[in-house]
Amino acid sequence: MSNLMAVALGVPSVALPAAEQPHADFSDTPMWLTFVKALIVFVYLLLSVLVVIWFERRVVGRIQQRPGPNRFGPFGLLQTLADGVKLMTKEDPRPSHADKVVFTLASLIAGTMCFVSFAVIPLAGQVNLFGHTTPLQVTDASSAVLLTLAIASVGAYGILLAGWSSGSTYPLYGALRSSAQIISYEIAMGLALVAVFIHAGSMSTSTIVYQQRDVWYVIPAFFSFIIYVITMVGETNRWPFANAEGEGELVGGFHTEYGSMRFGMYYLGEYINMFTVSAMCSTLFLGGWQAPPGIAAINDGMFNHGWWGLLWFTLKMWLFLWFFVWLRGTLPNIRYDQFMRFGWKFLIPATIAWVLVVAFIRGAQLGYLGDSSFSIGGRRFPVAMLFVIGLVTLLALAIAWVWVNRNQAKAEANRFEHPAEIDPFAGGHPVPPMPGQRLVEPARATTRGVAAHAEPVVTTTRQETKEAPRG
Amino acid sequence: MLNNPYVPILFMLALGFAFAAGSVGASVLIGPKRYNKAKMLPYECGIQPTPRPEGGGRVPIKYYLTAMLFIIFDVESIFLFPFAVAFNKLGLFALVEMILFVATVFIAYAYVWRRGGLDWV
Amino acid sequence: MTSLTMAADPATMSTGEAIGFWVLATMSVLGALGLLFFRRAVYSALGMVLTMITLGMIFLGLGADFLGVVQIFVYTGAIMMLFIFVIMLVGVDSSDSLVETLKGQRIVGLLLSLGLAGLLVGAIGRVTFPAPAGLTQANADGNVTGLANLIFGRYVWVFEVTSALLITAALGAMVLSHREHLGTRPTQRAWAERRFKEGKHLAGLPVPGVYARHNAVDTPALLPDGTPSELSTSRVLAAREQVAVPGTFVEGEQAIQREIEEGRTR
Repeated sequence: MSNLMAVALGVPSVALPAAEQPHADFSDTPMWLTFVKALIVFVYLLLSVLVVIWFERRVVGRIQQRPGPNRFGPFGLLQTLADGVKLMTKEDPRPSHADKVVFTLASLIAGTMCFVSFAVIPLAGQVNLFGHTTPLQVTDASSAVLLTLAIASVGAYGILLAGWSSGSTYPLYGALRSSAQIISYEIAMGLALVAVFIHAGSMSTSTIVYQQRDVWYVIPAFFSFIIYVITMVGETNRWPFANAEGEGELVGGFHTEYGSMRFGMYYLGEYINMFTVSAMCSTLFLGGWQAPPGIAAINDGMFNHGWWGLLWFTLKMWLFLWFFVWLRGTLPNIRYDQFMRFGWKFLIPATIAWVLVVAFIRGAQLGYLGDSSFSIGGRRFPVAMLFVIGLVTLLALAIAWVWVNRNQAKAEANRFEHPAEIDPFAGGHPVPPMPGQRLVEPARATTRGVAAHAEPVVTTTRQETKEAPRG
Repeated sequence: MLNNPYVPILFMLALGFAFAAGSVGASVLIGPKRYNKAKMLPYECGIQPTPRPEGGGRVPIKYYLTAMLFIIFDVESIFLFPFAVAFNKLGLFALVEMILFVATVFIAYAYVWRRGGLDWV
Repeated sequence: MTSLTMAADPATMSTGEAIGFWVLATMSVLGALGLLFFRRAVYSALGMVLTMITLGMIFLGLGADFLGVVQIFVYTGAIMMLFIFVIMLVGVDSSDSLVETLKGQRIVGLLLSLGLAGLLVGAIGRVTFPAPAGLTQANADGNVTGLANLIFGRYVWVFEVTSALLITAALGAMVLSHREHLGTRPTQRAWAERRFKEGKHLAGLPVPGVYARHNAVDTPALLPDGTPSELSTSRVLAAREQVAVPGTFVEGEQAIQREIEEGRTR
């Protein structure tokens, strides 16, 4: 670990990244091969969705101590296929108030946009495909990561328009909530990525993966990683942030009026979006398709080349998918206002502060803040960087100290000592004892009961009771 | 144009659209069609839907504020991206400028927070 | 494969480039026309979204990577989202009213736009452009880095002023849309305590009545003698005269029932 830290924080041993251009080499890739690769990615995604829906239901079943789908195919593996066929052969009613064109357009947007972002994800390094040496990645560009954010914001239209065009109350509220949720968390997501860009000096996915050959960015940008993982759950409207559906209050949220394959598009879109954010997270923070540190060293990096990359990439991506399912099986939904408060009052300011910290650390590393440095174990460390890190740590500690103190004071002020004994009728209305409290049987209880029974029962009718208007 | 790196994205777009349109179209063709009025009503837990107000109803103004704040931070992050990418070449001056910029936008943020614009309820 | 793929000589235009331009430009103009001529406000907004996306794609085609992506990111993502929220604020299904509120507004508007068009054509027609530097020079360090050099170099003052603009935006949004709470609103606990102090309706007011197929909030509960209880419905509904009386829905109810029966046999 200390060695890793040294690599992460030391002065870069290699020359600084010369350019922001994609590192992957597409020169030996004819147009038809690009199309074949797009087809491969497309099929890869569809198959993954087939598996993940089964996987989610099985794992959630396991968490809830029931078997989950286990009838169709070995271990119920073909369950999703059966679901798909069922969706396909369902009637597709459209409410008479709905806007005909937009109602269909919305589901098409959702079903189309979810595939697009995956075009810039590197599934593996250079591989041999039909006699050409080409990166297993449809395309890459100098603004690739930003493009996925842009695509996500276009995809939000699928949700907003679905709610608007349904001509029904619940979907409209679901859609508004959901798009407000997506845009709120998109900011923190974008800001979290800035730290990665500062380290990599590029927004191209293949360059970012290449820059992580020494150390994965999960270490130098650990806080960004945490923020990204939180926001990716918020972005995909998954539990515990599934407020868009909010079954308790909004029926099905924005897709309440959708049925058959038009609903299927949203279903598909949700899962593919999960794959996209997970793939993005493994690419940006976990070294993409590169083998994990121990394995990468075996036999002069034999597992770190060619098609092996696809295995590592898939494993890392599924790690996050499992995390999604785990969250769903474990946590209840949080309230919408709590969700928004967390996003706006914690995630955004914290991420901006973190980005500035990273900028300072990196600046010190590059010698912007003075050139004096010392070396430990063969690596040079700039003095300014240690100074910045120390300052930030002190500041973080101070904030934590103030916060904990304040919380303690609050808890102290709120603590209410319950008396050891309680008279249940003291307030005129029977109350049960708190845990640990002893009940004092009131002596007058019996007489009171008798008195109450002795009195003639007064029947209150509507005329007699003056009804207070409801507010 | 054809070796522009963004052209393959159109491939993905086309594949996705073909799949989406194909499966939605197929389900319309395959699926049964049995009309009745109750099916065409908006879903409200099996009860008769409340009549919609004139113009379809209005949404709370709260969403306007959220969208506006979103734009503000979006523009801020747009400036942070090139700053981050070119950080190695920009030097101390850009870092100072960026801190000034972030601090100024933070004034807006603090104002909105203080006035209660970030409280959802 | 880099983004520097356009012809280095700005005068020539490759076939692919030409096709891309004509397709995207047509879509973009169609979107703009849709913005003008659609009656429903949301359709107009969608027309504008189309224009923004195609503009972004044209930028991408011209090798301005960052600008193209940002065009989609900011305009499509943020600004159009704001537009749609604003439209819904006015009324979810709102559409254009064709009544002229100001007399002669249309003619004046037409004259002014013709004047503006004439001015623009006249002005742009006279402009002599300097020889373009070319993409190779502009993107020498990479597109984003080149842009960053400009932002933190020549245009650093404009960049700093942008932050003041953002403050203004936040201020404006708050002034226009935020309503401050005077005092704190009572919590659930405060309500409960007040109820117990008053000693009335300790278990809460009676809930509205429930008919199997109707939104129950406007349907009063029935007291044992069969009369509706005013307590069980909101006084707002009572003021609007929207409280349902028993029997209102029998007719519609039976009609739907018949429809369902018919649907089954047909």
